[in-house]
Amino acid sequence: MSTATPSVLRTTLATLLSHYRRHPGQLAMLLLGLWVASALWSGVQAINASARESYDRAESLFSADLDRITRRDGATLTLDDYRDLRRAGLPVSPIIEGELSLSDGESLMLIGIEPLSLPGGAPLAQQNGDADALGNWLIPPYRVRVAPDTLEKARALENLPPFEIAPDLPPATLVTDIAVAARLLDMDRRITRLVIAPERDVELPAAFVRTSPDTLASPGQLADSFHLNLTAMGLLALVVGLFIVHAALGLALEQRLGLLRTLRALGVPGRTLILALGLELLLMGLLGALLGIVSGVILAQLLLPDVAATLDSLYDTTVSNTLNLPWYYWLGGLAITLGGLFSAGASMLWRASRINVLGLGQAQAWRGRLRGQLRVQLLFGGALLAGAGFLWWYLASTAGRQDLALGFTLVALLLLGAALCLPPLLAGLLGLLARYLPRRAALLQWGVADLQLQLPQLSLAMMALLLALSANLGVGSMVGGFRLTFLDWLDQRLLADLYVRPAAEQFEDLESWLNERSEVATLLPARNTEAELIMDDKNAGAVALFGIAPKPILQETWPLLETRNGHEAAWQALTSGAAFINEQLARRQGLGPGDSLQLQGPSGLVTLSVAAVYPDYGNPRGEITLPVSRLATEFKAPSGTLGVVLAPTGDRVQTLSRLQEAMSERFNLAEENPSGGSLIDQQALKQVATEVFERTFAITRALNALTLGVAGLALLTTLLAQAEARRAQLAPLWALGVSRGRLVKLQIGQLVMACLGTALLAIPLGLLLTGALVAVINVAAFGWRLPLHIFPGQIAMTVTLAVVVAILAALIPAWRLRRVPPRQLLQEFAAA
Amino acid sequence: MLQMTGITKTYPTPQGPLKVLDDVDLQLAAGESLALMGESGSGKSTLLHLAAGLDLPDEGSVHLGGQRLSALNETKRAALRRDQLGLVFQQFHLVPSLSVRDNLTLQARFAGREDDDWTRHLLTRLGLDDFAARYPEQLSGGQQQRLAIGRALAPKPRLLLADEPTGNLDEAAAAQVLDLLQALIDESGCALLMVTHSAQVAAPMQRHLVLKRGKLMDRSL
Repeated sequence: MSTATPSVLRTTLATLLSHYRRHPGQLAMLLLGLWVASALWSGVQAINASARESYDRAESLFSADLDRITRRDGATLTLDDYRDLRRAGLPVSPIIEGELSLSDGESLMLIGIEPLSLPGGAPLAQQNGDADALGNWLIPPYRVRVAPDTLEKARALENLPPFEIAPDLPPATLVTDIAVAARLLDMDRRITRLVIAPERDVELPAAFVRTSPDTLASPGQLADSFHLNLTAMGLLALVVGLFIVHAALGLALEQRLGLLRTLRALGVPGRTLILALGLELLLMGLLGALLGIVSGVILAQLLLPDVAATLDSLYDTTVSNTLNLPWYYWLGGLAITLGGLFSAGASMLWRASRINVLGLGQAQAWRGRLRGQLRVQLLFGGALLAGAGFLWWYLASTAGRQDLALGFTLVALLLLGAALCLPPLLAGLLGLLARYLPRRAALLQWGVADLQLQLPQLSLAMMALLLALSANLGVGSMVGGFRLTFLDWLDQRLLADLYVRPAAEQFEDLESWLNERSEVATLLPARNTEAELIMDDKNAGAVALFGIAPKPILQETWPLLETRNGHEAAWQALTSGAAFINEQLARRQGLGPGDSLQLQGPSGLVTLSVAAVYPDYGNPRGEITLPVSRLATEFKAPSGTLGVVLAPTGDRVQTLSRLQEAMSERFNLAEENPSGGSLIDQQALKQVATEVFERTFAITRALNALTLGVAGLALLTTLLAQAEARRAQLAPLWALGVSRGRLVKLQIGQLVMACLGTALLAIPLGLLLTGALVAVINVAAFGWRLPLHIFPGQIAMTVTLAVVVAILAALIPAWRLRRVPPRQLLQEFAAA
Repeated sequence: MLQMTGITKTYPTPQGPLKVLDDVDLQLAAGESLALMGESGSGKSTLLHLAAGLDLPDEGSVHLGGQRLSALNETKRAALRRDQLGLVFQQFHLVPSLSVRDNLTLQARFAGREDDDWTRHLLTRLGLDDFAARYPEQLSGGQQQRLAIGRALAPKPRLLLADEPTGNLDEAAAAQVLDLLQALIDESGCALLMVTHSAQVAAPMQRHLVLKRGKLMDRSL
């Protein structure tokens, strides 16, 4: 007697797969789910991986452990400064940076270095130890180094030295000798910065400031929020796609229960059957992953230029327009698709392994048991929600020191718990409805009862819809709230009508001149610098210092989150020696009003008392705000900007334009000025900021809409897959005299009812999700908390969307039902 | 060929345990045909399932082809079914996604005993020559049951177990199916254990047994 042989496995697999020949729609649904899940996830990951690779290249270039040296007065460095410092024995090296414009409006960054003085460990200095290479670099016709993905663009530029390929260089960057760069950028004797090896502990002349690279946020860090955003959306799409897969697998199993029992009866061992089902899953997974990853890469290729432009305008980070995907990207895409598929298929394999071979002809029996599982599902979902509640309480009690992983666990528990509770809650709602419906409404009563029977098949699609709707509401409310807060904050922080950044030597003259102008109501000078924060006698790193003039107009509008004795007392304290700190610093260092901190300034230690904490949206760094006069005297901050607040006028635009003209004429100021001075119109600034904001969330909104579309698709495919079985249930009604038109309406009405119920549950879940995003995830990820805003319009939109999705999903099966010939309905009636 | 000794089987029910088979003995020799009769719920199908190794008795032993079924694990019992048994069900249980030919050879392929000549012969004898490329749903009830019988006989089993094979057919189709079954059994030389509640269906069998309240008794027709 033989045991299970490969031929048994082969024949079993072929028999199982033959099911899809008869039900190609199911195969399409399965592959569609896998494709969608894998494509969106892979697309997002391709963008992230490509951007990460660009950041790594940029970081290897810029944060190469070199300290930067700038002038304390903010003036532009010149070759004379370099010469003086070198003569004083300081091992500094000059760098020139500037942009070369291309004909298509884009530009390439040109960096000029002096390889002989550049500290040896810096990647820019590396010439592979080759003397010839160094010679080529230093003597005409010189060389310009460029990454392969930038070469084509660089070729469009004229007057460049011969190219040398350097794969490690960031995209859109050229590196050459400083003399070549100075000529190409028309820099004359100006240089962008001086650098020095951090281990060189030298004393700088007082006119210069040294900044460690640690205090500069890396491009990757800056754009982390953006990528986190993309990853979360990709993950949601993956989960929703896997819901489709789960629904398709469940349906395929249900329809093949009889076949599985027959195969067992014909002598296929249980283990062989499970192995064949596993192999079938693997085949589907490989096909789905292949389709998904290829589509994901195409999607990423399409989105990347927009994403790169957004990242450039938002964070000033350069991301290559060409996808550069590491090996682990491909493996990761395959692993996540197969992992997702097997997790979605685990319940199918488990159920198949427990098939009672004596149950031949009882294929429908498990449905009854599934209904019995609703109670267990409610209990399990309830436990997850209780876990989420506990976690939320715990995170709230740890005030400020929140963990991002725990934050995501909270969101996952919320979503999963709510999704599990949905089918039993819907069943409960329908039960209540059935009880209170008038007996005369027989068709409606039948519709509710029938919907209860359909719940096991519809539940997965409904769960996917719940997740998509609540994510839509949650993310929509968060983005809306962020937008509102950001615009308010922008209004408060950009009080002045015009911002002027004069060159250092012009500052005092300009200030006096502006003070004498009748159209100017007040001036708001501001300065920036940085200092070392000392906490508990230890250096806690550099913080940004922001100097403001605490004038009444500023005091009235500047928002404060926490104060000790109220708003006015806080401003009083600021003018008499205390400081304000931003929320990020408060959370990071556990500081609050009344606490003290110390700063290491150029003239020694300065102790400050915290008077208030203020919101500082979008800023990744800790910041301390002081009166501008203290910044100038105690911290030697360079002259910064002058905010010009206009006196009340009938025509703001004209007054502003007149003032700008006069100022430009007198002080040679323009919107962009090579001398370093500049004029910025507040409204233009706000417009740019708002545009950048909208662009940042455009991709979030797009992915969100896509996820909702996928959920709608899940619903449609579920309905299509069971349309045949549904018709057999509807046929008796038709035979009893209900017209096909009414049956169509009944079907649509049933789905609208189910989707409305789902939307009603999505509202509280979406609001909870918003709360978790603004109060937990945002704080953990970025160090600041957003106020929670609720938008009734958004809620109404969610409910409307649910109804639209229901109608769209029900339309095709309903249309098919309408077109079924009466003869076929008669046959189905006979079979029912 | 088949030896069942002291078989007892009890099922739990909401009203308490229900003894379906009570100390049943049954022997079937190679090439012999036996009709097992009885009313609905008398335990006929349970006895058939035990004979096929689809289930195990609470007490007693089942020997098939000299092997004690309760001594075999699930995988080995499946192999025994595949290699030595043919099963025919009242509901046909054909695979809707396979063609008539593929359905016919399914178990033979499982057993690794596909024989093209025998398959062609069966198709002709079953009257399904012209339907080989069609799918089960395109056949009449009688044709589907004939196909199910062909599938069971395709691997040339030593014992055919048939559970109400004509229960789903009209009189004319049933008579046709029975004639064919009998003829093919005679041709292949395998033993037949058929469960039925119809005396007319049981008539051509060599031996007849009746199950009543879980007890087995001889009966002459």
